[in-house]
Amino acid sequence: MTDAIDIRSMSRTFGRSRALDDVTLTVPVGSICGLLGRNGAGKTTIMSILAGQDRPSSGTAKVFGENPFENESALSKISFVRDNQRYPDDYRLHHVLRIAPEFAPNWSTDVAAELVDGFRIPEKTPIKKFSRGQLSSVAIVLGLASRAPLTLLDEPYLGLDVTARALFHDVLLRDYTAHPRTVVLSTHLIEESQALFDRVVIVDRGRIRVDCDSDETSGIAFTVTGSIEAVERLSNSRTLLLSRTIGNLKSATISGIADSDFRAQARTLGATVSPTALSELVAAFGTDAREPLQTKKGAHE
Amino acid sequence: MSAVVTTVKLHLNRRTETFVVPLLIAGTVAIISVLIALIFWRSGSQPGSEGWIEGSQSSAGIVSGLAGFLGYLGVTAVATTFPFALTLGATRRAFVAGTLIWNKITAAYVAVILAVLNAIEIATNHWFAGFYIFDIYVLGRGDTLRLLLIVFLGVLATLTIGGVFAAAWVRFGALGPQLVAGGVILALAIVAIILVPEAVAIAAAFQLWWLAIVAVVAIVLSATGTWLLLRPAIVR
Repeated sequence: MTDAIDIRSMSRTFGRSRALDDVTLTVPVGSICGLLGRNGAGKTTIMSILAGQDRPSSGTAKVFGENPFENESALSKISFVRDNQRYPDDYRLHHVLRIAPEFAPNWSTDVAAELVDGFRIPEKTPIKKFSRGQLSSVAIVLGLASRAPLTLLDEPYLGLDVTARALFHDVLLRDYTAHPRTVVLSTHLIEESQALFDRVVIVDRGRIRVDCDSDETSGIAFTVTGSIEAVERLSNSRTLLLSRTIGNLKSATISGIADSDFRAQARTLGATVSPTALSELVAAFGTDAREPLQTKKGAHE
Repeated sequence: MSAVVTTVKLHLNRRTETFVVPLLIAGTVAIISVLIALIFWRSGSQPGSEGWIEGSQSSAGIVSGLAGFLGYLGVTAVATTFPFALTLGATRRAFVAGTLIWNKITAAYVAVILAVLNAIEIATNHWFAGFYIFDIYVLGRGDTLRLLLIVFLGVLATLTIGGVFAAAWVRFGALGPQLVAGGVILALAIVAIILVPEAVAIAAAFQLWWLAIVAVVAIVLSATGTWLLLRPAIVR
């Protein structure tokens, strides 16, 4: 399988601020990759560089084997709408629907019409007066109807109601199945969208913390819950990612796999061991009270 | 080449601003000019008299009315269209080239519109009532070729100058236009310091085509500046 995205040792600095720090990442063609992490983790910067809207300070970023910056051929295969996308003054929906197909060779008028109708996007209101959810709807129309070989969706859910989010999921999955492409989706609504992902990348403070197949995330960490004393004994000498204490109860997210000895010890101490949810994993890797840890499983070579 | 063409189409996508608003401004200025002329007529001035014609032809209302809008159009064509163009997949190179072509299309359109209105004005003996709106000094006083050149270069210069200020804003934020303005003021001050001792001789030798040269230089410098500013610009 070839790679749609190939990033090697990429860093990006803005003045003294290091937005990306030695990022190496590959995403195979035809996958849906969840790009997860806290606000300011570096997700949008990665997407922006992949879309040729920015350049790395060092390292390389290639899309379908090409550097996207100022590359007409590469850019025609990429769709990226920022979460804070600006539109020309006085633009209305029809302006967007009229010009987007000129730039997107695979544009689907049917998909665009279905989404516009389903999202109930106002046709006569200037886009600059749109609500947050309506702006997200326009971005989704651009992203999905373009059928770009690499579709970068930056926080597509912002402000969307539950019906609109369901529509987005339905159309994305249906159109992706009919017209396979590579999708990178950044979101904070992890539980709602994790079923879509076949790869998961967790970013924090500009570094890749997790890069693996989605079915491998359960092997990255586990959660143990019980009395404070029991959990502290169990987590002692292990890499603790995140812990929470409520009254006499404590839960700890611990890196690695809970083997049979550990489970037996937990049972003896009255603690329970459970898989860590993906959202918990993202929260754990985003906490400040921990040394940076990097986990790469099944990373595509 | 195709990316340049699609960028031109992106600008032409604002059809109302490109094609309708200049017409509306010309029409509005015409109505205001007629109303002002009526006030002068009611105050005793006689249509067709030497003073009436001289006063009417000295008016530059159409120029100031269009210049403000075209400056805004030049700024927004870069400031708000550039981020969207990159989102759609345009390269910076194609955007700058496409914007320059669109500037020329707009300038040619406005020039032709004013030339047609000027021709109608002259053919109707100034709207059958001695109203001078387009047959004025600043537009060549009835000389169609001169009007076309003045309007084309004037509109193109206004759009590209607006574009370079917007490009500075895209590149450096609010500080960018201030730096460009500061640079322009400094350059003009240096030119003035050098030329002031010869001001009388220069004024005596002044030729109208000098303004055309100044406009062409301003267009070339602004277009080059726009490219240099946008080439490394990123969208955040």
